[in-house]
Amino acid sequence: MSITLDQVTKRYQGSPVVNDVSLEVGEGEFYVLLGPSGSGKSTLLRAIAGLTGVDHGRIALHGNDVTHVSARQRGVGLVFQNYALFRHMTVGENIEFALKVRRMKAAERRERRKELLRLVALEGMDDRLPTQLSGGQQQRVAVARALAHKPPVLLLDEPFGALDAKIREELRRTIRQVQRELKITTVLVTHDQEEAFALADRIGVMNLGRLLESGKPDELYARPATRFVATFLGAANLLLARQTEQGIRFGTTPVNARRVEKLDGGREQEVVAVLRPEEVELAPTRDNLRTNFIANGIVEEAVFTGALERMRVRMADGAANAHIGTHSSNGHHSPTALLDVTRTQHEQRLFPVTIGQTVAIGVRRIHVLPTPLSSYTAYGADEAACERLAQHPLLVELANRMKTRIIKRVESALAAGVATASAPVSGVAVISGGPNSAEQLQWLLQNGAGEVLVLPTHSASPQRVLIHWAEDSARRSTLAVAASLLRHVAAEAVYVGILPEGSGEAQRPFGVRTLLDARSEAQAVHGLEMRTELRFGAAAEELQRQLSDSEAPMLILGVSDPAQLRHTFGALFAAGAPYPLMVVYRPGRDSEGVSE
Amino acid sequence: MTFRQPSILPGFGLTLGFSTFFLCAIVLLPLAALVMKTATMGWDDFIRVLTDPRAVASYRLSFGASLLAATLNSVFGFIIAWTLVRYEFPGRKLIDALIDMPFALPTAVSGIALTAVFAENGWIGQYLAPFGIKVAYTWIGVVVALTLIGLPFVVRSVQPAIAEVQRDLEDAAETLGAGRITIFRRIVLPTVMPALATGFTLAFARAVGEYGSVIFIAGNLPMRTEITPLLIVIKLEQFDYAGAAALGFIMLTMSFAMLLSINLLQAWGRRRLVAAGR
Repeated sequence: MSITLDQVTKRYQGSPVVNDVSLEVGEGEFYVLLGPSGSGKSTLLRAIAGLTGVDHGRIALHGNDVTHVSARQRGVGLVFQNYALFRHMTVGENIEFALKVRRMKAAERRERRKELLRLVALEGMDDRLPTQLSGGQQQRVAVARALAHKPPVLLLDEPFGALDAKIREELRRTIRQVQRELKITTVLVTHDQEEAFALADRIGVMNLGRLLESGKPDELYARPATRFVATFLGAANLLLARQTEQGIRFGTTPVNARRVEKLDGGREQEVVAVLRPEEVELAPTRDNLRTNFIANGIVEEAVFTGALERMRVRMADGAANAHIGTHSSNGHHSPTALLDVTRTQHEQRLFPVTIGQTVAIGVRRIHVLPTPLSSYTAYGADEAACERLAQHPLLVELANRMKTRIIKRVESALAAGVATASAPVSGVAVISGGPNSAEQLQWLLQNGAGEVLVLPTHSASPQRVLIHWAEDSARRSTLAVAASLLRHVAAEAVYVGILPEGSGEAQRPFGVRTLLDARSEAQAVHGLEMRTELRFGAAAEELQRQLSDSEAPMLILGVSDPAQLRHTFGALFAAGAPYPLMVVYRPGRDSEGVSE
Repeated sequence: MTFRQPSILPGFGLTLGFSTFFLCAIVLLPLAALVMKTATMGWDDFIRVLTDPRAVASYRLSFGASLLAATLNSVFGFIIAWTLVRYEFPGRKLIDALIDMPFALPTAVSGIALTAVFAENGWIGQYLAPFGIKVAYTWIGVVVALTLIGLPFVVRSVQPAIAEVQRDLEDAAETLGAGRITIFRRIVLPTVMPALATGFTLAFARAVGEYGSVIFIAGNLPMRTEITPLLIVIKLEQFDYAGAAALGFIMLTMSFAMLLSINLLQAWGRRRLVAAGR
């Protein structure tokens, strides 16, 4: 491996800007780090170059640990967005700088300079000053300069940011060519997905300091694991659907799409479906569709953009409230769902549509996101309590970042303790923390809730998320919830394993193995990087100690037996927990059935 | 040749006229008077006044001490400016404001204050005395006074230039394998150099003309610690107006020659850079 990052963390004023990033970049690979501004991608690049120290983790270049080696000694090639050329030196002097510092002989230097200038197609420009060159030419010089000393890896920090579209494309081609010719391991940082697709062997998408997903461009596009990647890499319609035994259902319409991945062992639950605009088919009636019908709709907008026609279709029927994305920029969720559709000219010719026309909507391919956190429902005993909870800053922040919706539901039964709910619980149920939150939680679990978020009245965005599960059967789903949640908050994840007090030395290796297993499962199955800690004592007390020791904590607690909540973890609720708490509940028996 | 070029900015004639008038009234007229006054004395008298050993000694002190003070200021002013721009520390704003104090302080006050501190029984002077170092009433005192006066010029000229040195440049040099000294010498200094030269020039010019603070600390011993401006005042007190004018004229000429050569040097440096690009 050319570059190996192992749980690299960089904090800035306490909060992590690079959060537990682990990554391996192969020999000669072109890796693109993609993310919005402020996602920590540039900081990560500077950490690889050695210009920024890391607070935690390990960095290795070609197998050598360089975590504590200075930038000067690492000697990577680095290209900046603003070129960072030495303006008082000529092009030739700029390129020779690294060689001069290394006391290379003048003749050899000249030789290397010629070679590099040929490589970036700037022959004969040796004696120009950087200010006499165009932006594109300057960046070519910067690339040549970064390659002069034959660095182990080449790092490019938004190298095309300051250039206009035409030059950008040309330079992109040059860089790809140079990279192929030299077979040099390259990491490029950008916020432009088109650029990422054009250059990358592999793309890693970063957000809020975490490396969310990493993979080949086509795979990431076809099968994203997170909402963020689904919507950041290309356009996507996110719809809430129901996973049933038969397949997927939008509202009341079952869709017989083939090859839809089953989540959580096919348990009936709310899921998030990704529909790419180009996978949507329009036809005059349901019978004319060649693909799976999902709903009828009305064409609201149609814009011709050369090769493609971009449309917005408002979905009717039961599928209408399946929509969870925010289309309108003013933050209001539209009452019915708008679907983005793109059609080729061929499709347009086959079925021309006009605005206002009713059409049947079909879909060629549905991808279900492997996230257990589909939407939020705020539960309250009365209207006011519901409203207050739905306005909770942390809940609003989570829902915004997950691009999902918050529904309010008044359940008088919640307080009264009546056994059944007025409607089935789906998605994440949210209640406010307080003296009777334990009873409310119990009630929700009895009514089929899989995930319950308990929010205290005042709670900041969490910085440290503790993860714990009571029985091993809850492990898998707890990790899935943790992975999904942690992709949307800038917090560190810590799994706390607890062995009973007085468990002998003999138990210790077992405990440590549990931790390692948990960590590798989180990494391999859920793409979640987390730390681990082993404690001894009563579970509730240990957790409480940990929680009160950390700044802005949150707890994700997995149980497979509702009675456990009262018996083992009662202490956590007794005081009306001052931190957010996510309870993940999966009945224990079916996972036991699997293991037997 | 015509000055009237079509321009989007109106009022060129008016502003040029005003500038010329102002320069004439404030700068050129007094200078002309100085030259005229000098011209009233004969050539021989003129030479005699200029080559008087006492006058020659004063030139040496005035220009020597000014050059030394400007050089000291360039070094320490650069460091102060660097500290102020690059580091964030409590009291930074206060120090930043303190830099301008020599601008605002009446020069006589700073002269007296320096004398009090550096005199043999002063706060610092008493510790220096056992080592045989005398500051007040020697040429060292003159340099100290001129350094104080010129410091803000260097700091204020260099500050924006340092702020402009992009961190990226240093980062780039570091990844290319340059050590700190190399980065400073080959990247930072060349970028800041023009501003530093400007600061040096200003500090030097100010030091040559300084009078108030120096006369208190210098002790004013003829041939030893007498600066040229003081000699001029002495001549005035003896009603030797022509002699005073002659000394003033020679100071003017020497200062102008030095400032011009520094400017030319700078321009040459710039042009060499550009020429290298062709």
